[in-house]
Amino acid sequence: MNRALASGPLVWLGIILTTCLLLVLFQSMLWLVMPVLLAIVLYYIMSPWVNLAMSKGISRARAVFIVTMLLCIFLMAVGLIVEPKIAAASHDWRDKLKQYSDVGTSLVTKARQTFLHFFSFRHPSAPKLSTASPTSGSVGFVANEASLAPPSDSLENDVSNLPAKYSGDIAMELAHWIPSLLLVPYITYFFLLDGPRFKRFLVQAIPNAFFEKTLYLFYRVEDQIRRYFQGLLALTALDAISLGLGLWFVGLNAPFLLATIAAVMAWLPYLGSIAGGLLVVLVAAHDAPNNPWLPYEVVALFILVRLLDDFVFMPMTVGRSLRMHPLIAVLMILLGGAVAGVSGLLLVMPVLGVVMVTGQIIGELVADERIMARYWHARELRRQRARADL
Amino acid sequence: MPFGLSISRNPRLQLLKDVVLFKDLSMHELGMVDSLLHERRYLANEVIFDEGEEGQGLFVVLSGRVKIARPGDSRGSLIEFDPGSFFGEVALLDQSVRTAQARAIEDTHIVALFRAEFYSLLQTHSAIASRISFQLARVLAARLRQAVINSDEQHKAA
Repeated sequence: MNRALASGPLVWLGIILTTCLLLVLFQSMLWLVMPVLLAIVLYYIMSPWVNLAMSKGISRARAVFIVTMLLCIFLMAVGLIVEPKIAAASHDWRDKLKQYSDVGTSLVTKARQTFLHFFSFRHPSAPKLSTASPTSGSVGFVANEASLAPPSDSLENDVSNLPAKYSGDIAMELAHWIPSLLLVPYITYFFLLDGPRFKRFLVQAIPNAFFEKTLYLFYRVEDQIRRYFQGLLALTALDAISLGLGLWFVGLNAPFLLATIAAVMAWLPYLGSIAGGLLVVLVAAHDAPNNPWLPYEVVALFILVRLLDDFVFMPMTVGRSLRMHPLIAVLMILLGGAVAGVSGLLLVMPVLGVVMVTGQIIGELVADERIMARYWHARELRRQRARADL
Repeated sequence: MPFGLSISRNPRLQLLKDVVLFKDLSMHELGMVDSLLHERRYLANEVIFDEGEEGQGLFVVLSGRVKIARPGDSRGSLIEFDPGSFFGEVALLDQSVRTAQARAIEDTHIVALFRAEFYSLLQTHSAIASRISFQLARVLAARLRQAVINSDEQHKAA
C-alpha cells in the first residue's frame, strides 16, 4: 500500500476541504441539521436503554416504542413543571429583559469605575494629572470621570439598547426553530428503530472488494460520533457540576440550573462560553444588588471552570474521544467559524471527526493496490458473465 | 418494512437454521441474529478476502463453495467449505490478519457476521451470543484436534 497517499497531505487536504464544504452546506440547511444533530445526541443517550430493554427479551420495535414513550412522558412532565413559570415570565419578559439590561449597564459602569479605581490612566482629552486624592486608594494616577464619559456612555448605551434592538429578532428566531425542534423525537425514534437496517441497506451497495474495509469504516464512523457525543455529554455534566458547586458556594440562587444552562451554551465553542458566563454574571448582579463583589467572584469562578474545562475536562472527554491533535482542533474551530459562522463553530468538530475517519479509510482503500486490483478483477468477471452467449 | 423482510417471510432463516453455529437457536433468536448479518454474492473465482488483510468477521456459506488457499502453495486449496459451513471465524474473536486467501469456487451466496455487531449481540442478547460462542468453540476445538492429527500423520509419514 502507498502509505504516503493513505494518510498523507493529499488526504488531509481533502479532509479539510470536505469539512469546509459540508459546513457551508449545513449552514444553508441548519433547520434540518440541528434537529438531526440533537436526534443523534438523544439516540446515544437512549440506545443503552433500548439495549437494556432488548436484553430482557423485548423486541427492538417494542423496546424503541417503550423508551421513546418514556422520554415523551419525561419531557411532558418537565414541560408541565416549567410551563407555568415560563407563562408567568412571558407576561413581563420585556420588563425582565429591561431589568437585566439595566443590571448589565450598571455592571459595566461599576466595572469601569472599579477598573479606573485600581488601574486609572488618562484619556487624551483629560486634564493634567492632579495630586493624589486623599479618598483615592490608587497610587500615582487619579481617575477623571469626565474625561472618560463619552466612550463609556456609548458602551453603556449600547448595552441598554440591546433588548430593544434584538428582542424582536430573538422571539422570531425562537418561533422559527420550534417546528424544527419538534422533529427531534420523531427523528430519534426512527434512528433507534431503523438505524441497523439502514446501515445494512447502505452496506449492500458496496462492491465486494471493499466490503470488509467499509464495514470497518461504518464501525469507526459510528464509534467516532458516539464517542464525540458521549464525551460532550460527560464534559457538560462535569462543567455543570463544578460550576454549580462553585455558584452554590458563593451563594447564588438556583446554582445548578444556571450552571447547566451555561454548560449547554458552551457546546458552541468560544461564543457559547462567553454568552454563558455573561448570563451567570448578569443573574448574579441582578439577584444580589447589595453584594457588589458577587459578579466578580462569579467571573473568577467562571474563568477557573473554563481553565479546568480546557486543560483537564476537555482532554479527558471530547479530546480523547476524537483522538485529534489539540492544534488541529483549535485551527479547525477557527476555520469552521470563518467559513460558516456560528453554525460552523458548533458543527466543525463532529463533522471533522467523521470526515477524518472516512477520508483516512478511503485513502487507505484507494492506496491499496491489491484491493483495487480485486475490485477490477471482480468487475471483469461480471462483465464476462454479462457478455456470455452474446 | 423498508429495508428488509419480516421474519416469517425471510427464506434465509431456514438456510441459517442448518448452520452448525446457529443450530441451538430458536427461530425467534435466529431472526435477531439474521438482522445483524450482511449478505454478499460472489461469482466463481472471485476473491472473498486475501491473506494479510485485517479480518472483520466470519462468513457463512449459504450456497456455492469456497476454497481457502495460500497463493503460491503447491497444495492448491487447504480446505473447502460447502453450504452450512463457515470460515474466517478467528476474525470474530480478535483483530488479527487473515492467514490465507478465500475464493469462491462457484457462484456463492454468503452472509457475514461482523465482529463489532457480534460484540453488541453479546451485550444485548448475551444468551444468544453465548450459545453461538459455545458452538464456535466446539468447531474450533474440532479443527484444532484435526490439525494436530494431520500434523502427527505428516511427522510419521516423514
